[in-house]
Amino acid sequence: MKIELFVNGQTCAADVEADTPLLWVLREELALTGTKFGCGIAQCGACTVHVGGQAVRSCVLPAAAVGSQPVTTIEGLAATPQARLQQAWIEEQVSQCGYCQSGMLMAAAALLKFRPKPSSKDIDEAITNLCRCGTYPRVKRAILRAAAA
Amino acid sequence: MNAPHDKAWVGRRQFLALGAAVTGGFALGWAAPVVAAPDRVDNKQPAAAGAAIEGGAFAVTDWVRIGADNTVTVILSQAEMGQGISTTLPALLCDELGADWSQIRLELAPTATAYRNPRLQWQFTGNSESVQSFYDLMRQVGAAARQMLLSAGAEQLAVVPTSLAAQGGRVIHAASGRSLSFGELAASAAQHPVPAAPTLRPDSELRLLGNAVPRVDAPAKADGSAQFGIDYIPPGLQGLVFAAVKSAPDYGGKPLAVKNLPAIKARPGVVAVVMLPHGVAVVAQKYWQARAALAAAEIVFEAGRHADLNSARLKALYREKLAQGPFKTVKDVQPSSGPVQGAPFEATYELCFQAHATLEPMNALAHVTASGIHIWAPTQGQELAKFAVAAALNVQPQTVQVLRSPFLGGGFGRRLLPDFCVEAALLSRAVGRPVKLIWSREEDLRRDFYRPATLHRLQARVDGAGRLLGLSQRVVSPTILKPVFPPLDLSSGVDPSALEGTLHTRYRVAAWRTDFHLLQIPVPTSVYRSTGYGPNLFGLESFIDELAHRAKADPYRYRRELLAHDERALRVLDEAARRAGWGRKLARGAGRGIAFVDAFDTVLAQVVEVSVRGQQVKVERIVTVADPGRVLDPAITDAGLEGGAVWALSALAKGEITFDKGGPVQTNFHDYDLVRLREMPRFETHLLHTPGVKLGGVGEVGPVATAPAFVNALFAATGQRLRTLPLARSGYQLV
Repeated sequence: MKIELFVNGQTCAADVEADTPLLWVLREELALTGTKFGCGIAQCGACTVHVGGQAVRSCVLPAAAVGSQPVTTIEGLAATPQARLQQAWIEEQVSQCGYCQSGMLMAAAALLKFRPKPSSKDIDEAITNLCRCGTYPRVKRAILRAAAA
Repeated sequence: MNAPHDKAWVGRRQFLALGAAVTGGFALGWAAPVVAAPDRVDNKQPAAAGAAIEGGAFAVTDWVRIGADNTVTVILSQAEMGQGISTTLPALLCDELGADWSQIRLELAPTATAYRNPRLQWQFTGNSESVQSFYDLMRQVGAAARQMLLSAGAEQLAVVPTSLAAQGGRVIHAASGRSLSFGELAASAAQHPVPAAPTLRPDSELRLLGNAVPRVDAPAKADGSAQFGIDYIPPGLQGLVFAAVKSAPDYGGKPLAVKNLPAIKARPGVVAVVMLPHGVAVVAQKYWQARAALAAAEIVFEAGRHADLNSARLKALYREKLAQGPFKTVKDVQPSSGPVQGAPFEATYELCFQAHATLEPMNALAHVTASGIHIWAPTQGQELAKFAVAAALNVQPQTVQVLRSPFLGGGFGRRLLPDFCVEAALLSRAVGRPVKLIWSREEDLRRDFYRPATLHRLQARVDGAGRLLGLSQRVVSPTILKPVFPPLDLSSGVDPSALEGTLHTRYRVAAWRTDFHLLQIPVPTSVYRSTGYGPNLFGLESFIDELAHRAKADPYRYRRELLAHDERALRVLDEAARRAGWGRKLARGAGRGIAFVDAFDTVLAQVVEVSVRGQQVKVERIVTVADPGRVLDPAITDAGLEGGAVWALSALAKGEITFDKGGPVQTNFHDYDLVRLREMPRFETHLLHTPGVKLGGVGEVGPVATAPAFVNALFAATGQRLRTLPLARSGYQLV
């Protein structure tokens, strides 16, 4: 089926099967490969993007269900008010292997959008993404740094 | 790991006449380094020293190319999988060369003998070897290129080379104030012979070494542009299709048929359904199409001969071997005065099977053609993949080129194995097109080569005051090294990786004995961050703690006494105790545990603080003191050690792979969980130096002390000794 998506400020068209998750439309149809595949069952958060301003796990969300809600991916984060997170990520040298970090950043951006000055506990509750390299302490520091900026 | 010693194997490692031609690039921004993959590999000789390549660049050596535009391209032989090696190794070379960091560009090494680990003569990334084995080489190749630039500069300026200095990317004649840029000298420098034994700079001239260099990969990993294996498609590759695979649920199981084959083949985008010896693959125009079609396929599997394998049987087998052996005595040091006497004490420790669960699932892109095979993959084992693919497809190894994707989404040992590369190549051959194979998480967990379960029985003889006189241990473990090092001869009953930590100790004990049983099981097992050191030192450091408590001694002071002769060890242990506030009173329900290890040539002590409420355990604080000899980059070292401790928290608290009906039970992160941010303690990491000792690795030592320090802390808090992990086995839960 033909679908139309509004991604990172642009209207994009794709012709995919109705059940295709947003993740694979982003990666395979729109070449936005910053969003990662990690589990396919919404457990790890590597595929986190924003749909209608909320953090969602795009591996289980059919693209056809997105409708007219705007989609923001890691490639579009720099154009949002939460772009300072990316600088904080570099300043705190958060990433190790980096595979989970697009999802981490998008989860963090959604948090800051609704809670610009999060407490440590807010971060603990909001960031449920998996990181195998163990960057969590630095993820938290970078979020606090961005919030303080 | 041992060096390859099998003659037939060595004979097959022929020189690979494939060059590292350059195209394209992955702009990483920041203060510059750029990673370029050798996308196009021509059948020409490697860029010989002195040869002009393209774009006016000159290969000063195999490792360094200098452009007329003054860029310095450094070849990156080691896979970047988070350990920061793509920053640290080029920084070493840059320092020696005298280039400015902003001039440096990075290019990934193809599989070629020039880029092998110089100690093991084999191209791979693992075993905490990247810094240990490449430190000298990077400095030497940097110094050699510098010397060649100085010789060229001396000619052009008509002065003696010793009157020149290389600094900030220029060759400078201080006496006259004249200078030439590296770019201006590259062409003539490349004509000079490569000095065999160049002189290294004194430490006082090094600007990057020992300092925190901003990671070159940080910007690309913050904006989503970093190219992992799963993302990477070589520019210009035509006809690429994608594959999803499902293997039999049990070891040795086989697919018999796909009941609804016509319906699956008729699904959108499906190119082929390929029967593999162990499973079924669907190849389609898009990965989602392949994945969805595979999910709809009604595959009939035939159970293999291990279908009755389960965890209870495995456990019984381990216990039987621990009791009965046979054992190979791999170490037996006894005092000349005869066997030590004293009261015996014995304890048995048990660890479970665990999966690597790299966040990026296994994947590979293969293109099999009549003229050769190209593999692009996120691999730690470039050279093994090359030979494995050649063997599986029955072609000459020199027709296979394995190229690494710019980044690996975690490695931890799993990506040393070539299985995913081989499978992609088989599929490409089957469909006659380039194939990108991506494993589902389910496939990734089912087909892991697990950290094996191990069983450790430790026995001590102690004197009247409880002091340790002699220690003997029995270890039961399947192989760890064989799958990543096929020439290993297991007929001797010894696996060197499984023995790590059992052959030597820094503790002073009069008698030390290790007996090993190499277990044969159908479950694939191999290297996993911390390899043998992790399980073996979990046993030892738990046991030492038990001995201390039996002696009514403080566990820190008990260790201190055993290390009284060892200045370096004492410094690390004392610093950890001091930083942790050892001995300071803790709240009710809280406990502090310590562990001391020497692994991968790094000496490390860790203090873990826990608080316990009912069955809920909170890790409050982890204090780490590490001495790797020389700290090359304190920030990267700190991050690696901290990440290692987090790795260990997942291992001790969460994941366990169990078996039933011949295969693994856990399928995805809902039943193979990892720790998350909310479970993090406070981390404090302190680094020490010891001049003149062997350089220690820091990638794998991080997790080694955490599990024993944790169980020792839990004992201090509760009086309950956990001799098996993960925590769930004892009814505890990490919060």
